Amino acid sequence: MNKRLSYLISILLFIGFAVFIALRQRQPFNLSAFEGYRTLIMGGFLRTVMVSFIILIGSVISGFVLYLLSKSKVRFFRAFVDVLTEIIYGTPLLVMIVVMAFVIGPAFNSYNRIVLGILGITIYITPYMTNIYKSAFSSISDDQYQAMDLFGFTPYQRYRYIIIPQVIRILMPPLMNNFSLIIKGSALLHVISYSELFHSMSVMTSRTFAHVEGYIIMWMLYIMITVPLSQFTRFFERRWGLQ
Amino acid sequence: MKLDIQNLSHTYDIEVLNELNIQLENKKAIGLVGVSGSGKSTLLRIMSGLEKPTSGKVIINGFDVQDKAYRKNVGFVFQHHNLFPHLSLLDNITLVLTKTRHVEKEKATDIALNNLRKLSLEDQAHKLPKHVSGGQAQRASIARALSINPDIIFLDEPTSSLDPILTHEVLSSIENLRDSGKDFVFVTHVMSFVKDFADFVIFMDQGKIVETGGPEILDTPKSEALQLFMSKVR
Repeated sequence: MNKRLSYLISILLFIGFAVFIALRQRQPFNLSAFEGYRTLIMGGFLRTVMVSFIILIGSVISGFVLYLLSKSKVRFFRAFVDVLTEIIYGTPLLVMIVVMAFVIGPAFNSYNRIVLGILGITIYITPYMTNIYKSAFSSISDDQYQAMDLFGFTPYQRYRYIIIPQVIRILMPPLMNNFSLIIKGSALLHVISYSELFHSMSVMTSRTFAHVEGYIIMWMLYIMITVPLSQFTRFFERRWGLQ
Repeated sequence: MKLDIQNLSHTYDIEVLNELNIQLENKKAIGLVGVSGSGKSTLLRIMSGLEKPTSGKVIINGFDVQDKAYRKNVGFVFQHHNLFPHLSLLDNITLVLTKTRHVEKEKATDIALNNLRKLSLEDQAHKLPKHVSGGQAQRASIARALSINPDIIFLDEPTSSLDPILTHEVLSSIENLRDSGKDFVFVTHVMSFVKDFADFVIFMDQGKIVETGGPEILDTPKSEALQLFMSKVR
């Protein structure tokens, strides 16, 4: 069976499954419940995208800072990174958001739960970003450093022309995976009443009782963001990947 | 090439080179031969200026090999091709020329293409290293070494990661460079290549120079160590 046909059949199979499930519900699938809530849901959708981008940018920066600390000659910095990483690896994201918004924030007289929640996700994702940097930089082989030494490239030239162009290509696919994690994780911001997609949809379903429709549409909306993202990542890997 | 090695010793955790002394003149292609761990690769790296010896001196053509001016004039071909994987074969060469030798882009491209042609790679110039064979990549790295127009080219087991067919392909392109006016110092385990290409052979064992002379010493070894070595590689 050729590749396209296999994918087409797989996709149809899942659509068929979704239709079957929808038809098996006790109440008919009724999209009219969305009337009057479109703006709310679109607003939620856009806020999910926006917040995800903010967290992505924030964690790309904080992940790099943490990476630099993990490579520092100062032993304390390396220990700090290890301890922080262990704590975060053991913490559920939901706990992180709640603790940040209701415990840590107030201790610093900060009560802006939304900012604190966003900060919570950013901190949560930071060690994962650090890992990406670690593997990307370590993939520049010693052989290449030897060649750089031999020809006498300056430190600036090494980074500008040899290291960074390669690191970016290696970084992109896992970075996009993390972005997908952030988008899905941002749904947890509903616990602090931030009206992102999940929260907006919950408001709609609690008023109209259209739970099935709400969750299915929400699911589709999340997939609408994450599938193109992972497809773009694959395309990027094929087009510019090094291996 | 005029070579003067004086009391050269080198230690990593153990002693790798032990009080080497040798003076040579008018040699075009020096082959370093010996078993793995005999110190030949270390000697090659010290001669090229890539590594700093623990003690002693190496003077080549009047330059101390630790001199910056000397190091800029050295071509080195590694065991693995060491090309930058994100750049085409052509760009691997032009990057070196434009950034570290300050050659203009157009001239750099000319030089690069010319050298790729010498190694029969002109039709592969725009391919990435991952899209050419191991032998072609190694030849490209020889072209890169040639492009900076060095007086001497050092080759550190350039075929050790290649299969016999690719080994032959790479070694015969090196032999074609015999009349390029460059001098060569090389380490290899391919004895037929040493016999064909070297005009002087240095046999090393346990960090010492044991026997030296023209390539004929490989056929009529005097020392016991070289006799043993040759009986094993034959």
